[in-house]
Amino acid sequence: MSARNRELLALIPASLLVTGGFTAVFIERHNVLSNGSLTYGLVFLGLCLAAHVLLRFTLPDADPYLFPLFAVLACVGLVMIYRIDETLARQQAQWFVIGLGLFAGTIVLLRDDYRVLERYRYTIAAAGLVLLLLPRVPGIGSQVNGAYLGVRLGSLTFQPAEFAKIAIIIFLASYLRDTRQLLVIGARRFAGITFPPLKYLGPLLVVWGAAMAMLFLIQDIGSSLMFFGGFLALLYVATNRLSFVTIGLGMFAAGSWALYQMRPTIQNRVDAWLHPFNTPLYDRVGGSYQLAQSLFAQADGGIFGQGFGQGLIQVSGQGGHMVQLLPAAQTDLIYAVITNELGLVGAVGVICTYLLAVERGFKIATLAKDSFSKLLATGLTAVFALQVFVIVGGVTKVIPLTGVTLPFISYGGSSILANFVLLALLLLVSDRARREVRS
Amino acid sequence: MLQPVSVAIQFGFLAVIYLFLLWVSRSALKDLRRGDYGGRRAASPEPPPDATGLHAASRAIHGGGEDLDPRLVVARAPGHSPGMEYDVGESAVLGRGDQAEIRLEDPFASARHARLLRQGAIVVLEDMGSTNGTYLNEELVTGPQPLHPGDRVRIGDSEFVFQDR
Repeated sequence: MSARNRELLALIPASLLVTGGFTAVFIERHNVLSNGSLTYGLVFLGLCLAAHVLLRFTLPDADPYLFPLFAVLACVGLVMIYRIDETLARQQAQWFVIGLGLFAGTIVLLRDDYRVLERYRYTIAAAGLVLLLLPRVPGIGSQVNGAYLGVRLGSLTFQPAEFAKIAIIIFLASYLRDTRQLLVIGARRFAGITFPPLKYLGPLLVVWGAAMAMLFLIQDIGSSLMFFGGFLALLYVATNRLSFVTIGLGMFAAGSWALYQMRPTIQNRVDAWLHPFNTPLYDRVGGSYQLAQSLFAQADGGIFGQGFGQGLIQVSGQGGHMVQLLPAAQTDLIYAVITNELGLVGAVGVICTYLLAVERGFKIATLAKDSFSKLLATGLTAVFALQVFVIVGGVTKVIPLTGVTLPFISYGGSSILANFVLLALLLLVSDRARREVRS
Repeated sequence: MLQPVSVAIQFGFLAVIYLFLLWVSRSALKDLRRGDYGGRRAASPEPPPDATGLHAASRAIHGGGEDLDPRLVVARAPGHSPGMEYDVGESAVLGRGDQAEIRLEDPFASARHARLLRQGAIVVLEDMGSTNGTYLNEELVTGPQPLHPGDRVRIGDSEFVFQDR
């Protein structure tokens, strides 16, 4: 069976999930949902099919399972957002349309040879850094819960970090392709630890400095962990030196500690993480309310969950105004909503889908022949995996909660668009690698 | 009244996710059994101490670093016919001088212009302080650069394509 036919077959589950999910949510909540809202699911299915046809023509040899895995994630997300609010589901479906356009654009533009990206590596790196700095620009930057992650342009807000992660990975992959040999050859051992040669360390220090600066600019340890982790994963794959990773982790720990000492917002986060059920913390504005509610919702889900539309996300309080039981349910806490309504089984299913998507990503990296493709696929996959870890870990009280999105599931335009570009790049690498292996 | 329907759909939903995951992971399992998952094969020799994970990964596909046969293929060069191939061996110097392994009859080339050095499964290109510089894929070479199959090495008007098997 050819790769594309296999992909088409693998899209059947996604279509079943969308149909089933929308039907179940509609049955449970038909008193608040309009009949027309069912079409959002159809729009989504049409998009999947369109993307499949596009891949059939442009990247016939690309990995057959990667796109269906992402489609399953996206449709679980869409069903959950539909369950939370039908307007959001409509907007999400619209974002999918734009995202698919960007996906097609990336593929068509880079189809001949995506390695032209290497030529623009410093431009791309600069663009990534500018994107990260945007939220601090007065007037357009916006601060949410002490973290500088959003940019407001008129009525639109967008999260530049989502795009910056791709730019930085492209830069690092192309930079490390050139320097990895040097980093290994000239390394000296001192006190049992291998240090990279000072001469070639400069740009690495720049990246480390940028990651640190970002930590202090964004004031968000979670997103910084995502970037820094992706960087260290690339460094490890490029050099096979665990010591470089250890040094990097040490630097990150020191930077985080310094930030923790300096910023009361981070201290609040850590306190909320350590003692979510402490009453004064729970009642404080920006305290542990969100995390504690998330844990309650997940515990309430049990093994098989409450069922579609059965979870309590908001209740009417005194004077008829709504009390949010799960603040930011459609973005940060969507994993908690999934656990609440589909239970442990559903949540584990979602995490396994992510795991398999990451496995496909690393497989693409091992199949790719040239170093740049290998590093690009590894870096994109690593940063994707780390993003899932940061938000799922945050919601389940493994690490302090930070507001990054759950890729392809959370509501949010920038997240959808950026992850579509990420998927397009992975498929481009995969197409070339599999074609070369076959021939 | 409709409660049973939505409960049935919920379990159907979960079942579909898990069946899908099983199907996809079966393919991953097949890759692992086949043993060419980018990991080292039991039969392949231990990689040299400077080898990286990347080497190991590419080795599995290349079928062992020992089989590599790094060559420079002439694309265009004064005094050479296009398509001619030079073996790199352990190392090779390109230049206009007599000691150069690959003689360049190019007015822009220095006596000892550039050097190719084999390190494990990787061949590194290094400029030896030439007057007019060495270009890798039309970019000036400043330090040692690893070569990949298909890379173009240019010195003055002479251009070579690197191949490794």
